[in-house]
Amino acid sequence: MSVNDPSPPSGSAFRISGLCKVYPTGAGDVHALRGVDLVVAPGETLVLLGPSGSGKSTLLNILGGLDHATSGSVRFGEAELAGASAAALTRYRRESVGFIFQFFNLVPSLTARENVALITEIASDPMSPEEALARVGLADRMDHFPAQLSGGQQQRVAVARAIAKRPALLLCDEPTGSLDSESGVQVLEAIAEVAGDVGATTLIVSHNASIAAMADRVIRFRDGQITEIATNARRTPPREMRW
Amino acid sequence: MRPAPLDRKLLRDLWRMRWQVAAIALLIACGVAVAVMAFSAQRALAEAQQAFYAGTRFADVFASAKRAPISRARDLAAIDGVVAADARIVQSGLMDVPGLQRPATARLISLPDDPERSLNQVRLVQGRMPDPTRMGEAVALKTFMDAAGVRLGEPLKATINGREINLIIVGAVLSPEYVYVPSSESFMPDDAHQGVMWAPRRTVERAGGMSGAFNSASLILASGASLPAVLAEVDRLLAPYGGRAAYARADQPSHAFLDAELKELSTSASILPPVFLIVAASLVHLVVSRLVDAEREQIGLLKAFGYRDRDVAWVYLRMAAAIGLAGALAGGVAGGALGAAMVDIYRAFFRFPVLNIQFHWTAFLTASGVAVAAAGVGSLAAVRRVVAVSPTVAMQPPRPAAYAVTPLDRLTAGEAFDQGSRMIVRSLERFPGRALLTASGLAASLALLVGTQFLFDGIDQVVDATYYRVQRWSDAISFVEPRDAGAVRDAARGPGVYAAEPTRVVAARLKAGGQQETVRILGLEPTSDLHRPLDAAGRRVPFEGRGLVLSEALATRLGLGPGDAVWTEILDGSGPRVLLPITGLARDYSGLTAYMNRAALNRVMGEGNLASGADLLVAADARPDFYRAIEQTPQIVGASSRDDTVASWRLVMAQSFRTAIIFYLGFAGAIAFGVAYNTCRIALSERGRDLATLQVLGFGPVTCAYVLVGELIILSLLAIPIGALGGQALARGLVAAYSREELRLPAVINADSYAMAVAVYLAIVVVACGLVARRVWALDLVAVLKTRE
Repeated sequence: MSVNDPSPPSGSAFRISGLCKVYPTGAGDVHALRGVDLVVAPGETLVLLGPSGSGKSTLLNILGGLDHATSGSVRFGEAELAGASAAALTRYRRESVGFIFQFFNLVPSLTARENVALITEIASDPMSPEEALARVGLADRMDHFPAQLSGGQQQRVAVARAIAKRPALLLCDEPTGSLDSESGVQVLEAIAEVAGDVGATTLIVSHNASIAAMADRVIRFRDGQITEIATNARRTPPREMRW
Repeated sequence: MRPAPLDRKLLRDLWRMRWQVAAIALLIACGVAVAVMAFSAQRALAEAQQAFYAGTRFADVFASAKRAPISRARDLAAIDGVVAADARIVQSGLMDVPGLQRPATARLISLPDDPERSLNQVRLVQGRMPDPTRMGEAVALKTFMDAAGVRLGEPLKATINGREINLIIVGAVLSPEYVYVPSSESFMPDDAHQGVMWAPRRTVERAGGMSGAFNSASLILASGASLPAVLAEVDRLLAPYGGRAAYARADQPSHAFLDAELKELSTSASILPPVFLIVAASLVHLVVSRLVDAEREQIGLLKAFGYRDRDVAWVYLRMAAAIGLAGALAGGVAGGALGAAMVDIYRAFFRFPVLNIQFHWTAFLTASGVAVAAAGVGSLAAVRRVVAVSPTVAMQPPRPAAYAVTPLDRLTAGEAFDQGSRMIVRSLERFPGRALLTASGLAASLALLVGTQFLFDGIDQVVDATYYRVQRWSDAISFVEPRDAGAVRDAARGPGVYAAEPTRVVAARLKAGGQQETVRILGLEPTSDLHRPLDAAGRRVPFEGRGLVLSEALATRLGLGPGDAVWTEILDGSGPRVLLPITGLARDYSGLTAYMNRAALNRVMGEGNLASGADLLVAADARPDFYRAIEQTPQIVGASSRDDTVASWRLVMAQSFRTAIIFYLGFAGAIAFGVAYNTCRIALSERGRDLATLQVLGFGPVTCAYVLVGELIILSLLAIPIGALGGQALARGLVAAYSREELRLPAVINADSYAMAVAVYLAIVVVACGLVARRVWALDLVAVLKTRE
């Protein structure tokens, strides 16, 4: 396995080839992705690094079924995401994808348990909200509303919500972006642990190079292209990280 | 010069929220439009009335007699406080008008010898005035000519006082006495059958055998003259000549109807605009409060940059004022147009030589000022929040909105409640004031929809009760003078008549305590089938001895009930004054009537078995023959047809109430739409991020739309019973405000009217929800998730 090899060590969860995304604007077209090729293995953890506007979040959005590619192909197992209908993408997100956002995106009028129940009510083989919250260490905060939780706790509720459906794919967009270092570490620990438990393929988008050590592979982006793919010999547990 | 940054922010916010702003401005526009419309139309009518009355010397007092010598007219002019008096001859009969099935009432009025100094002058609008040297020339009321299709130069044959006279109509006129011409049977117009004509005195004298005499007098009073004293003196002077009760202009039928319309316009202008402005102010409160909540960080940032509290607060206050101003301007334009439309409708009912509408600037400016102030008041709570925002807010991370468990959560606990429904219920719990305002606004719109339905349902009930249950005749006739009841038997032998019942009508003044009312006493057969007083439950009220059965409205005015007695001053015949017992109450819907056994009434009058007319049942296919027969019967001066009367009711309803209902529907729709649309838009701005999150998490847009509009749907449903009850109350209030002597509409609302109102209301709410909910399908998931709220 060498640096810049787009293939994973074994098998594939995603097979991305020639992926382009162009945003037409008044001032001309903006090329967010310029021919990305990547194969992601089942259960693999990737950290996507790069400056703002480098294309990493665009890739995450396309993989999450939130956005369509302009050209190229994204195969998730046997399914082609490029060109899928809105209903098919909704089904895909519902069944296969867990999301964790920078700003947590909890529903403020629902308690921690109810926020997780949002997902368990529509998933086909979910764990119980209580189990999901216990796994992120919030068994004693289940009936708290988001406003009654710290930022780190809110993000851990979001992690519980994301993994409660036992997703095949866990997409994390700047999960520590709004947190201090200590809370960020706790959240990353929760992600690493529960993603491992449910065997989810995990993609983490971040500005924070320090968290690259927890990945199997680190993908660096610049100007809509992958500039480097590095494989970590050893995944560092988040509790050993500081930034 | 470029506008200051805060001004640009204000303009851009207004543009961004343009549909919400438009929905609120629409309500304000409705309020201002009603005020401008009502005041403009009222002034147009009042000015036309004033100019017409002044230009034609419309009298202050009217009186009639059987036959008074012309020399007594000088005595009338000499009464203290009288400025001018006019004596004339008025003769009534029937008239065959080609093209009309039923004979028209002919009312022939003598023209003065000196037109300049006379009272109640006519205004020639077509043709010429009659030549006094030519017998038989006459002018006729333009409304009659138009409705009956009578052309200038057309000869008409009238039967007056048993004499057939030939008239040639040489001119069309308008008269201050007949600005509105109520039919004899109801207060509805029946222009084609109201043949009011004026001819030189010689012609009328000959028709009525009234040489050297008069039977109708009019007076103009000096300002400050005592009306009761003049009325009493006129009665005293004319009593020896069969004088009937003199009455003031306020009781003159045309004037009274016009006056009631002017009062109704004032009522409209004072009831409706406040409703609109209160709802609009509530919406301004909700919308600006939400905006301030969403912009707390910006507000904090502006303060951190050094903007003063009042600089920032001023932005939001001006936003409210701008909404008020936009609504006021639109309302001014709409009010002007609606006023003009209203006056167009009035032109069909009220005949003035000139009826022009002018925009009522004072009403517009006052209503606009109130509207802008109402919007400003609506924004005050939000503006206070602006002042309270600390500059440090900009530096702090956003906090999720605070929620807490409430007792209601026990109801939503358990598996049956999904999380989306829980979000809806929690939002209701967290903003109870907002929920209350929203539900109140929706209930107000439904109340307006329900409450105004009584216009139709009430009229239906009045027509059904009056013309099919109380009065069951198909035709009624009246005689020139009361005649022996045997005349009714003659009438019963007429073509197609298969039932006839004599009636006796006398005018009377009923006195009780300090109250007195001039009424008609209707004498009926105790077993009459064609006309019988009914009580509130629809049961026949029997006559007992010489007891009176009073209409409920009359009893209420006099403060009397069954078991009481009332002093009754008969104004016809020898004018006896008697104390009569009240033996029952009848429910009727127009006029002030007392019913009595006809035989007992004749005994009170000291007269024999007399009838002043008859109620008849005439076979429909024999009507033309029947009408031809009564035209040739000299003693018959009036002929009414139930079918024609009911048809004129329906026509007036179709013309004027339809317009009113369209107004009300529009107004209620504006309220429902304004409230529903703004509530949904506020929910969308508050929950846009939650809804996008739900979609990212795999929820379909339909579920998200449910979460978005669920709260409004619940409130809309909760508002239905409140709106229905409010509608009943509104109907009762409108009945109280608009009730006239001519028509007491019952505040009834039928089940199908409720259903119709609720259906329209829900349709409007659904449209408003739909307009906002479709945005769920267009939510930019990536953009919403990437930004902080």
